[in-house]
Amino acid sequence: MYIYDDFDQTVAKQRVAEFRDQVDRRLKGELTEEQFRPLRLMNGLYLQLHAYMLRVAVPYGTMSVAQVRKLADIARKYDRGYGHFTTRQNLQYNWIKLEQMPDLLADLASVQMHGNQTSGNCVRNVTADHFAGVIADEVEDPRIVSEVIRQWSTFHPEFSWLPRKFKIAVTGAAKDRAAVQWHDIGLQIVRNEAGEVGYIVFVGGGMGRIPVLATKVRAFLPKQELLSYLEAILRVYNRYGRRDNIHKARIKILVRDLGPEEFTRQVEAEWEQTRHTGINLPPEEETRIARYFTPPAYEAITEPVTAFEDAKKKNRGFAQWVSTNVHPHKAPGYAIVTISLKPIGGIPGDISADQMDAVADLAERYSAAEVRATHIQNLVLPNVKQADLLAVWQRLGEIGFADANAGLITDVIACPGLDYCSLANARSIPIAQRISERFADLDRQHDVGELQIKISGCINACGHHHAGHIGILGVDKAGQEFYQITLGGAGDETAATGQLLGPGFSSDQIVDAIEKVVGAYLDIRQPNEPFIATYRRVGPAPFKEKLYGTR
Amino acid sequence: MAKPDTGPKVLTGNLLRDGATVYYTGKDWSLYVTDAKVAATPEEAEELRKIGAAAYAANLVIDVNVVDVQSTPDHVPAHIREQIRATGPTVRRDLNKSMSPE
Repeated sequence: MYIYDDFDQTVAKQRVAEFRDQVDRRLKGELTEEQFRPLRLMNGLYLQLHAYMLRVAVPYGTMSVAQVRKLADIARKYDRGYGHFTTRQNLQYNWIKLEQMPDLLADLASVQMHGNQTSGNCVRNVTADHFAGVIADEVEDPRIVSEVIRQWSTFHPEFSWLPRKFKIAVTGAAKDRAAVQWHDIGLQIVRNEAGEVGYIVFVGGGMGRIPVLATKVRAFLPKQELLSYLEAILRVYNRYGRRDNIHKARIKILVRDLGPEEFTRQVEAEWEQTRHTGINLPPEEETRIARYFTPPAYEAITEPVTAFEDAKKKNRGFAQWVSTNVHPHKAPGYAIVTISLKPIGGIPGDISADQMDAVADLAERYSAAEVRATHIQNLVLPNVKQADLLAVWQRLGEIGFADANAGLITDVIACPGLDYCSLANARSIPIAQRISERFADLDRQHDVGELQIKISGCINACGHHHAGHIGILGVDKAGQEFYQITLGGAGDETAATGQLLGPGFSSDQIVDAIEKVVGAYLDIRQPNEPFIATYRRVGPAPFKEKLYGTR
Repeated sequence: MAKPDTGPKVLTGNLLRDGATVYYTGKDWSLYVTDAKVAATPEEAEELRKIGAAAYAANLVIDVNVVDVQSTPDHVPAHIREQIRATGPTVRRDLNKSMSPE
């Protein structure tokens, strides 16, 4: 993975010193809250319901063992012994004290981490496929270009005060695990007919109160021209994006208002001005960055791995876990492990300091010392030998993270909701917990099959409910928590916006309602047909009838 | 026409220094909503707002608000958001404080 050079490290240290001075001046009363708030937000520090919350950037979800251990240390030293992985591949701490922030940031900087650009109207932390570099069907490791974008966008002076926040996601494979069409800019690495590597460029996706899937503005952008093209998109947005209405300030509204053709025309015209001005990355610099993502030296292993195959036959629980949480690796004899942070009845994405340390130990021993965070609020060990899978599973069982539910109905995404978040209208986590408990039976989960439930506690949609096969949106109805159900959303290469099914349900009713939706699916599915395929085949009517038919 | 806003109210905010949720007691700030001074009239509520504005200007508290509470002896906040603010996340009872000092 990428290692800071002297320049990066100096920038990180200078930023800590700068914020230390800003905090000092704030505590002395030399800065007002109005002056200080944008400064703390630039460092990822929010005020939530109970305390300050710090959002730590995990660029493209990749962490070293040392970083995970430091995150555990910080959880113990400055927080209450745990953290929360978010749908942005980031980690949040919930109980931060302002007066301790400078020391905390210094600790983070010691492992090349920070909270920069995890808030504010700037280019946010870039996200990528959590299977980057280890999946067979990949054109190129998306972390390379993600790191290029990270460096380009860090403290970019022209794009530090955009009309609104700006999110970029990258996939290196046609199978989209990074939800690129839901981002302000989504990049898919492709090869053209001549065999050259470049990008499909999507612009103007976003969730929130106006969900919009991105428009494909370029079918093929040559790889070496990426930064000038990104610069052109950001310039058009920075110039014409609305600043008078926060709800209409995202680039998706500009693309909609101008129309995709006119927006694209303006970007291309801007690009003609900028592409020859030296913004593009020199090839040798890209080569330098790419070297950091050189795969580990894989052993030559002949498949099948007998011990692994035998263990599956002897241990049904292990076999079930392999079927959901282990993904084929590009190297024979290796595997990609998804660590479910969704134990039955647990808080999606939450992880204690001790669990972080245990994951770091596993990565060090079994996975080339690397851990990934996913936007589904799980972790990934990207480089595990098949022969080691049983030991990994057993250790995960000891720390409570061996649930065989990746991609199943209990692998629920949930934002922090009204339990923590000052923007929320309703709680998300308890709904996720109750759904998880209702469908706890593993055989039942495996029978229901692939099904993504995503829950947001308000219309800002941090829980990605628009992209859920079943989406749940919490609303405030006369002071009571109510929940609306959407169906048919998707975040992959078949991205779609979930459609509202009908009137909402009380907190007491919502889990029964979800069970009815699942029941309707089980009644009408065809053999081996996943939930989303059934919904696409039959539409909302059978589900509506099951839910509201007798109302 | 909107109904006159006459219910009991308390003044709340978060301490600048550590972010903790606190309530104005009439003299200082407490972690517990049951310690809060209750405004029974619109005039008393207005007085709380002024005190809150002054505490904000003095860099003691941020996110200062006057919020509705129930007409009960322990004046539990009226809205679920404020009930959760008063005690902590409902999904981590082990970390919660109670509404009043132990």
